[in-house]
Amino acid sequence: MSTNKRITLQQAAEIVKNGSSLTFSGFTIWRRPFAIVYELIRQKRRGLHLIEVNGGPQSEFLVGAGCVDIWESCWVGHELYGKYGANMSRKVINKEVIVEDYSHAEMIFRFAAAAQGAPYAVTQTSLGTDLHNPEYDMLGRAGRRDGKRIAKQKYIFTEDPFFDAGPQVLIPAVKIDVAILCVQQVGEEGTVRVAGQLNSDPEAVRAADITIVMAEEIVPEEYLRRNADQNTVPSFEVDYILECPFGAHPTGVFGCYDVDGAFLKDFYGRTRTQEGFDDFAKEWIYGLDHISYLEKLGWSRMLNLRANTALNYRPRN
Amino acid sequence: MSNYASPEEYGLADLLCCAAAREVQDNEVVFAGTGLPMVAILLAQKTHAPNLKLIFEAGAIDCRPPELPTSVGDARCDAGASLSSGLYDTFSIAQRGYVDLGYLGGAEIDLYGNVNTTCIGNYLAPELRLTGSGGNPDINAFAKRTVFIMVHEKRRFVERVSYLTSPGWRVKKWPGGEWVHRSELYGASFRGGPSAVISTAGVFRFDENDGHMYLDTCHPGKTPAEIKELCQFDLDTSRCAGETSPPTKEELYFIHDVLDPDQIFIPKVKKA
Repeated sequence: MSTNKRITLQQAAEIVKNGSSLTFSGFTIWRRPFAIVYELIRQKRRGLHLIEVNGGPQSEFLVGAGCVDIWESCWVGHELYGKYGANMSRKVINKEVIVEDYSHAEMIFRFAAAAQGAPYAVTQTSLGTDLHNPEYDMLGRAGRRDGKRIAKQKYIFTEDPFFDAGPQVLIPAVKIDVAILCVQQVGEEGTVRVAGQLNSDPEAVRAADITIVMAEEIVPEEYLRRNADQNTVPSFEVDYILECPFGAHPTGVFGCYDVDGAFLKDFYGRTRTQEGFDDFAKEWIYGLDHISYLEKLGWSRMLNLRANTALNYRPRN
Repeated sequence: MSNYASPEEYGLADLLCCAAAREVQDNEVVFAGTGLPMVAILLAQKTHAPNLKLIFEAGAIDCRPPELPTSVGDARCDAGASLSSGLYDTFSIAQRGYVDLGYLGGAEIDLYGNVNTTCIGNYLAPELRLTGSGGNPDINAFAKRTVFIMVHEKRRFVERVSYLTSPGWRVKKWPGGEWVHRSELYGASFRGGPSAVISTAGVFRFDENDGHMYLDTCHPGKTPAEIKELCQFDLDTSRCAGETSPPTKEELYFIHDVLDPDQIFIPKVKKA
């Protein structure tokens, strides 16, 4: 690979192929790589397999646009701006998307297993729930358990063979083709510095075959190496970088801007139906690029989201 | 008694928030999710439990947010925290056994405290798909006690939940699906289970031996008979200890003047 890791938004989306398995940085409505998500929708990517520690607006946009075949995760919604994922709900009911449910802890432990090169993790969470009901193995029911991308079994129930601690559940490592991150800073060589909560970013990067990092700013590598203890991901785990200010909008970025709650509320309210989604996408995605999207949002809206850099959020009063 | 607010000074959300706050003891380690539980736990931190350790599952640990966060991933959660990291840490801490109490919610709950947040109707052909589990089953599996805050409607207090998302006192042992007491299933990782349900009608607790929910207190204005009628299962009302204590004036001050002045989660009652 060339030492220059810089790519454009269009090139970033092209790295994700039809049928790729994909994951993202952030948590629910924070630090989601929206500029690339929008570009995937414009490029009409199809057959995606989203594997997310938790979902959020990014899952809802991709599912609504018909990009997703399989969603493997534990939660989707817009926090207080929309109480569930209306697009996911519609497509699950219509059997247009296969949903494989795991619990939140199971998802992060599956990512951690993949990040350490282990085939599975062991946990005691969610014992006794329908998550573990063999009838509800949706990828198994669909005949998709090939033992390659998708594990041969959803769960294995066993007993602790070492200390007699009783029932244990084995959960398969995730297999991620591409991880797309949205962060505050990345260096020219790929060193990542996330400010605020890391969520599941370190595990997502290490689990993925390819990592794309979209940053609010690309900074001199030397600047990040002066305080390596503050960095999150080492350079060589990152394959591609791009700079894209406000790239997470409508989600928020610690220290940079808050969540655009009004935008998410509007999306949630208007996209209960496919016609509603298509109408929303025509207004906010198709025919726009990142700059014209920001122009459409306008200065006053964006300035009202801007975080105070001492507090890292925008104070309400 | 004179410190309690009079009925026209508080609303149902205030009552729920205060009842929830009183479930935590000082120095406990607590998981709280988005919404009313956040206000409740911060209220406890301002009043009787100043040393509680608050964890938000997105990654902020031992938090003292200066301004009310609107979700657990909010930048406001980081300010004043002991550690800002991620889910691998928060759920490892929980599985390791540090967590005393978790606040949770749900769409449906049954006699044993099993909760559904996944779908309405048959999972294989749902009428409505909800958010999914999130951390609900994890916190419920790992914490010593959990408190559920629920809207009380007969369709939500059911004999059997449509989908068992979060484990109560009697659960299914897979792969066969036989019903067993959770202490049998969890082995060495058994630490407890649901300890209270705070609904819009009353406060409920569980008999840990048979795993059944019973009525503990009725909210002011509700009777045990009315509340029994709001459950599809046969609710035990014989242990009812009276009325839920109303908010104090001090608690109302903290909720509305300090924690949630913008009424993000708790609406203010209009003065008559």
